[in-house]
Amino acid sequence: MSLLAQLDPLKAEALAALAAASDLPTLEQTKGAFLGGDGKFTALMKQLGTLPKEEKPAAGKAINAAKLELEAALAARRAELELKAALPKEPTDWTLPGRRRAVGKLHPLTQVTDDIVRAFRKVGFAVADGPEIEDEYHCFDALNTPADHPARDSQDTFYVGDNSRLQTPGAKLPLLRTHTSSVQIRVMKSQPPPIRIIVPGRVYRRDNADATHNPTFHQIEGLYVDKHVTVGDLKGTVEAVFKDVLGSDVKLRFRPHYFSYTEPSLEIDFTNALVKKLGKDWLEIAGCGMVHPQVFENVGYDPEIWTGWAFGFGIERIAMLRYGITDIRLFYENDVRFLRQF
Amino acid sequence: MKVTLNWLKQYVDFNWSPEELAERLTMLGLEVEGVQKLGGEFAGVVVGQVLAKDKVAGSDKLSVNRVADGTGERTIICGAQNHQPGDKVALILPNFALPLKAGEKEPFVIKERKVFGVVSQGMMCSKKELGLGEDGDGIIILPPDAKVGQPFAEHLGRAGSDVVYDLEVTPNRPDLNSVIGIAREIAAVTGNALKVPNVSGIQNPESRIQNHVAVRLDEPALCPRYTARVVTGVKVGPSPDWLRQTLEKVGIRSISNVVDVTNFVMLETGQPLHAFDYHLIAKGAEGKPTIVVRRAGAGEKFKTLDNQERMLTPDMLLIADEQKGIALAGVMGGANTEIRDDTKDVLIESAYFTPTNIRRTSKALGLRSESSYRFERGCDVGIADYASQRAAQLILETAGGALVPGVVDAYPQPAKAKEISLRFAKTTELLGVAIEPEQQAKFLTSLGLGQLPIANGQSATFSIPTFRVDLKREVDLIEEIARLHGVDKIPSTAPRGAVGTNAFDAVYDEIAAVRRLLTGLGLNEAQGQTLVSKAECRASSAEIVALSNPLSSDMDVLRPSLLPGLIHSLRHNLSRKNNDVALFEIGRVFTSVNGQPKEERRVALALTGARALAFWSGDDRDAKLDAMDLKGLVEDLLEHFGLRGIMFGKRAEPNELFLESAAITLGGKVQLGELGQLLPALAKQYDLRDAVFLAELRLDELLARGNRNKSFKPLPQFPASRRDLAMLVPEATTHDAVLQAIKQAKPANLESVELFDVFRGKNVPAGQKSLAYAFTYRAADKTLTDADVNAAHTKAVDALKLKLSATVRE
Repeated sequence: MSLLAQLDPLKAEALAALAAASDLPTLEQTKGAFLGGDGKFTALMKQLGTLPKEEKPAAGKAINAAKLELEAALAARRAELELKAALPKEPTDWTLPGRRRAVGKLHPLTQVTDDIVRAFRKVGFAVADGPEIEDEYHCFDALNTPADHPARDSQDTFYVGDNSRLQTPGAKLPLLRTHTSSVQIRVMKSQPPPIRIIVPGRVYRRDNADATHNPTFHQIEGLYVDKHVTVGDLKGTVEAVFKDVLGSDVKLRFRPHYFSYTEPSLEIDFTNALVKKLGKDWLEIAGCGMVHPQVFENVGYDPEIWTGWAFGFGIERIAMLRYGITDIRLFYENDVRFLRQF
Repeated sequence: MKVTLNWLKQYVDFNWSPEELAERLTMLGLEVEGVQKLGGEFAGVVVGQVLAKDKVAGSDKLSVNRVADGTGERTIICGAQNHQPGDKVALILPNFALPLKAGEKEPFVIKERKVFGVVSQGMMCSKKELGLGEDGDGIIILPPDAKVGQPFAEHLGRAGSDVVYDLEVTPNRPDLNSVIGIAREIAAVTGNALKVPNVSGIQNPESRIQNHVAVRLDEPALCPRYTARVVTGVKVGPSPDWLRQTLEKVGIRSISNVVDVTNFVMLETGQPLHAFDYHLIAKGAEGKPTIVVRRAGAGEKFKTLDNQERMLTPDMLLIADEQKGIALAGVMGGANTEIRDDTKDVLIESAYFTPTNIRRTSKALGLRSESSYRFERGCDVGIADYASQRAAQLILETAGGALVPGVVDAYPQPAKAKEISLRFAKTTELLGVAIEPEQQAKFLTSLGLGQLPIANGQSATFSIPTFRVDLKREVDLIEEIARLHGVDKIPSTAPRGAVGTNAFDAVYDEIAAVRRLLTGLGLNEAQGQTLVSKAECRASSAEIVALSNPLSSDMDVLRPSLLPGLIHSLRHNLSRKNNDVALFEIGRVFTSVNGQPKEERRVALALTGARALAFWSGDDRDAKLDAMDLKGLVEDLLEHFGLRGIMFGKRAEPNELFLESAAITLGGKVQLGELGQLLPALAKQYDLRDAVFLAELRLDELLARGNRNKSFKPLPQFPASRRDLAMLVPEATTHDAVLQAIKQAKPANLESVELFDVFRGKNVPAGQKSLAYAFTYRAADKTLTDADVNAAHTKAVDALKLKLSATVRE
């Protein structure tokens, strides 16, 4: 049989053997059997030299082509088998729950505080801070609170220190601040105007814990002092911030109220789809007003030159509204099933 | 303060709906906290008059009637036979319901309907239909003097429909604790006149009162004004319907005509009044009583109207006769002189007491009344006589008797009218809206302020009525203008102006970064109570900041550490089967330093339970957290601050909180915090089953000392060589000692030393442990040769052998 006549059957045999190799070792054996030094295909190539000179080119060309074809088939089959070998023995069930890393959550009060702070910072407010143990001067006197105002009462305010002095008039015991407004005074006494600050922090009222009260809670205070500041500015800024925090569908309403440290004093009600869902027209959310000239005088600012506004509101209340939380105590129990929801 | 729609309408005209009134009052600053609609009885039933009665074609029994209802005429088909043209009847209008009968689930609503081709526009009612009796045969025929169109309930003297408003009166506006005060606000908004009841019939130039009573003010500072008026020959009895109903609608119990009048006038004018039985007041030498306004004696006993005997102090003001106390000034009358059924002559007290004193007395005795509520907020010193006149007028009207002409008005220093100037431009400047000066002045005068005639274009001076105790300076007037102009009409202006600065601003972000780091490390953020139990604090009493007036012993001190709160949170979780908990808290703690309370921020960690989240395969899936988990978290946290020289100093012994623990310091000097494992006994006490790991760090200290400056180091250009070293060392040898020994040997080009194995057991003698370290050598400027590395490494190994008695394992 001529060499060329042997070529096609041998090639077919080799291709079939490569295709039949079921794993990599078998494939390598098969390779050796045909293309190795003693392989059948190598033997065929060795016969090339025995051919007459005029037949050599055509035969050489045919053999080379067949060899390339076999090598390509070998590489393809090797890739196939390598891929097969790389597959895990047990196929992966991609619907299984993955191996999760624990990721902690920020407390919902932190998240709400951060959102509010971010909204105020966008319009130029800086965050300020002050002590939680305060004195009567910063918490009440300087804020124009009358000397016999009920807020100062030991029924409503926690005092610190020797309780035998509690009933002593003028004892001036330190107290736990009842509002973040005390920081207004501290900042104004330490910085010249203009002032533009926001103060998140803990405050304390002497209320027994129940679904809507906790002796400890959080407030945010804002203060803006500059020349020519008006009620219109107060409304505009508060509206911008609350739209940012509560959503652009929120509507605000300002109505007259009374606080000793602002004049005029206003309360802010808001409404949105959520409030309507609660069956209400408006929900009270914050108190605010133009800084009382007496407060400016107390800190040494000239009320004829400087005007300003201040506001304050409870963070728990906003968080409760935002997330539909109905019991304030949940914030302080730190149940991880609660914390992980936010 | 409760007030009703109908009551308000007696003092000012307005045609707002009940809802609109609520909205208007709220926007004036009188927040409406509740609105209660009183349907009243017989809603939609009015007195009608039959004008004509004719037969209905096609019916034997029915008649078709023309009936006047007070506003027009209606056609009414009626089956009853007992009425004639001219009769007054009880007519119910369409779309109103008959009273609910026994057994009915829903009331029967009268509708317009067609009967025999005629539309009947209502119904004439029988007694049975109105629930007034069993007689259902014929309709009610009313007396001829019944007023056509009058609500049937009013005709019967019963309560008609009304709306009760519960208003939140802010403490600065005591004048709004009165119906007239609220009506005045409405008058100012509507521009309609305020109709104050006319008492001119009571005023009398004759003053025979001097023969009946004298008043002596011993304490004019506490009682600047006291008026007394006497009505003789009254007949004490039930109040007329209008008076009783008016009081009951606003929640005041009717007692008797005389007492009800004093309450009514208090609600009407805001001036608390008291009525004494004149004859129970002791008479002096001149045959007439002298009312003495004095301080109570120390330990003086006095029985108030509620029959409680009270022990008084000289801080309390007493109304007395010359023998005994008869009223606790401004708070409550005395049982000894109260109005009785047989009282004939009445002395009316209308006085002004200073707010602070009344508040203190009321608080000291734990006794609050409508009267003390008003006095402690500040009454109108100017209104005392008017209120007394009004009370006398109504007593005469409801209880008969005769007025003793005149009044004893002890008012030694009449209040001078305050005057406040207003610069009109200042209003615009503060409110951000331009309001014409004329309009500003009009707003103020409509509220009862007087404008003095010295106005120029720029400013004006106003006299302040005595009832407006809140108006003290210019800005207070501007607030009034804002209220009447409408705060909602002030246009909002977009944020503008200065950008704020504060040193804390950057700190806020640094704290936020710590929070994010710790949540990223898998811990949930907690917020604990600031107030904790002293019993659970480790600190000594001297260091603890205690509350003077705690609510309970559970919360009697300010937390000296965040750890007790976190332990509580662990317990809370464990008790709810959340067994794997990792929490952190950032918050303030409070300690007493030399008697002065000091606060500082800390960050604390608390861990218990499984190391990793639940998983469904793996040998170590059930692994519990251990001390090195805590240590790793603390290391990550400390690394965040970029501090150098942090040391963990092992404490030799367990303490009251920790089983094993270490103090974290900066170079052994600056205390940064501590970490360790909770004492098992304590853990058990809190029902914590697994080991509990705790750490607390002084955040303020970390923030202050932290170094967040970062600078780039070029990446290495040349390869590193690694040498591993396993050695046996005594159990007590610390990792830190190994590092120190290596460091002191100063092996050349040593880049890092990493511990990769600690082993005890097979082939390791007891009392020893095997430590395995990877040493990495690298030079910045060349590839190190084996000889270079070996020389350096030998130096390190020799030092370990020498200093730590280490046995190198080959």
